[in-house]
Amino acid sequence: MVGAYFGFYMVMSLAMNYWLALILATVALGFIGLLLFRFVFYPMRDAPEVNLFVAAMALLMILEGAALYFFGTETKWFVVPFSRKVLTFGDLSLPVQRVIVILGTLVVMTFLQLFIKKTSIGATLEATAQQREGAMLCGIKVSRVSALAFMIGTGLAGIAGVLIGPAVLLEPTMGMGPLLVAFSAIVFGGMGNIPGAILGAFILGLVESLASGYISATYSLTFVFGIMILMLLFRPKGLLGKETWRP
Amino acid sequence: MKNLFSSKTKAWFLALALAVAVPPVVGGYLVSILTLICIWSIMCFSINIIYGYTGQLSLGQAAFFGIGAYAFGILTVKLHMGFWPAFLAAVVITGLIGFLIGIPALKLRGPYFILVTLGFSVIIGVVLVAWVDLTGGANGLAGIPRPNPVPLPWGGQLSFDSLLSIYYFVLFFLLIIMIFTNSLISSLLGKTLVAISYNETLTESLGINTMSRKILSFTISAVLAGIAGVLYGSYNVVISPEIAYFAKGMDVVAYLIVGGAGTMAGPILGTLVLMAVPELLQVVPSLKTLINGIILMLFLVFLPSGITGGVDTLWVKIFRSRISQHGPAQG
Repeated sequence: MVGAYFGFYMVMSLAMNYWLALILATVALGFIGLLLFRFVFYPMRDAPEVNLFVAAMALLMILEGAALYFFGTETKWFVVPFSRKVLTFGDLSLPVQRVIVILGTLVVMTFLQLFIKKTSIGATLEATAQQREGAMLCGIKVSRVSALAFMIGTGLAGIAGVLIGPAVLLEPTMGMGPLLVAFSAIVFGGMGNIPGAILGAFILGLVESLASGYISATYSLTFVFGIMILMLLFRPKGLLGKETWRP
Repeated sequence: MKNLFSSKTKAWFLALALAVAVPPVVGGYLVSILTLICIWSIMCFSINIIYGYTGQLSLGQAAFFGIGAYAFGILTVKLHMGFWPAFLAAVVITGLIGFLIGIPALKLRGPYFILVTLGFSVIIGVVLVAWVDLTGGANGLAGIPRPNPVPLPWGGQLSFDSLLSIYYFVLFFLLIIMIFTNSLISSLLGKTLVAISYNETLTESLGINTMSRKILSFTISAVLAGIAGVLYGSYNVVISPEIAYFAKGMDVVAYLIVGGAGTMAGPILGTLVLMAVPELLQVVPSLKTLINGIILMLFLVFLPSGITGGVDTLWVKIFRSRISQHGPAQG
C-alpha cells in the first residue's frame, strides 16, 4: 500500500518518470524497513512471537491511518502513460500494466531465488531462519542479517505496490486485502519457500478469480480463507513446505 | 504485602463509586461514550481470557461480537422474540460457534492460530455483507429493542428508556463479567490456563488435557464477546457489518495491550485511555487509527506489560525502601 501511494505521490505530484519512481519507491521502502527494524523489531527481539505479530498489525494501523489522513478516503487513479493501453492477441486482450506486473514478478522472483540460493549472503539468511543460535555460533551477525531480510521484504512490497498501483484503484485500506491473501499464499505454499509462495499465490489467485467468476464475487475472499484454514488444519507445513517445519 | 492489596481494593471501590456517581452529573454525550467504553471493556475481557490468561491471541473476537449482535438482532427484529430469551439464545449461539471454531483452530499455535482466527473474522465479515436476506447486507439491521423493564420485588419496575439507565444496565453486566473473570482466574481452571500460557508442553506433561482447557477458554471468550455484541446492538439500535470487521478486533487488542494483558484493571484502563482521550481532545476521526496504532506500537516496544505493568513497576520502585525496612511480605 505504501509502495503504491509512494509511487503515486512521486509520479503524480512530482511528475516523475514511472520507472524512476519504481526504483526510488523500492529504495525508500527498503530504508523504511531498516528504520522499522532498528527502532521497533530489534528492541523487541526477545519478545514472544505473538507480540511481533501484533506489532506488525500496529504498523498496518499506523500506515493506514496516515494514508487516510494525508490522502483522504476517496479512491485515486494512478495514471501512467501506458495504463490505458491494451495488448491484443486474437481473442485475448491484456492491459499493458498487467503484463508489466507479470514480467516484473518473474524478474524479481528469479533474482530473489538466485540471491538466496546462490550467494553467501543468501545462505546466511536461510541459516538464520533455520537456527538462530546455530547461525550465531558460525559467526553470522544475526541482527544484520535480520535487518537485511527486513529491507528486502519492505523493498519487495514497494515494488509490488508500484507495479499493481496503476492496475487498480488506490485507497487507504488497499493494503489489507493483499496482506491477508499474501499471508494465506505463504501458509498455503509453505513457509520459507519461494517456489511454494509463488505456487500458493498462483493457486489462491486462481481460486479467488474463479470463485468470483463462477460462484459469487462477494464470497470470493471466503473461499481463499476457507482454503487457507483447511490447509493449516490438515497440512500445516503447506504444499511444498519442508517436513521439519511444524508450527 | 497486605498494604498494597488493601490499597488496590480501595482503588477498585473508588473506581466503582466514580462509575456510578459521575454519569448523572456529566450527562448527555459523555454518558453515551461511557456506555461504549463499558461495552468495549467487556470485549477486552473477552480477549483477555483467551490472550491475556491463556496466551492464545485471537483476532476473531470481533466476529463473535458481530455474531452475538446479529443473532440478537435477527431473533428480535425478524423472529419477534422477547428481549431476554433472545439475549440468552444469541449468547448460546455465539458460544456454540466459538466452541465449534475452537476445536480445529486451537490445534494450531502462535501465529498460525492468529491467522485462522483472522480468516474466520474476514469470512464472517463477508457473510454479514453478502447474506442480504438474513442480515440486511451493508445497510445493516435496524430497530433492535432496548431491554424490557425488569419488575422489582418491592413493586414498581426498572425501565430502560433513558440513556443513563442503559449505561447502568451495561455497567451491571461489566461488573458481573469482572467478578466472573476474577473467580475464574483464582480457580484451578484459571491457574491451568495461565500455566498453558507460560508453557503448554510442560502443562501437558503434568497430565492436564490442555486442548480441552483451551477450547473451554475460547468458548468463554466467545460468550463474553457475544454478550458485548448483544449489549451493543441493544444500545445502538442499529447494527452494521463493520462491527464484525477484524480491524475492530484489532482495536480491542490494542486497548488490552495498552492497558495490560492478563490483569483485571488492564482491559478497563486501556479502553478508557484509548477511547476517552481522543474523544476528549476532539481528535479528527480519521486520525484515530493512526493514533491508536502509534500508541500500541510505543507500548509494545517500551512497555509490553501495559499501563498496569508500568504502575506496578513504579509502585515497587517507590515502596522498595519500605519493603526493605519491614522485610519481605508476609502472607
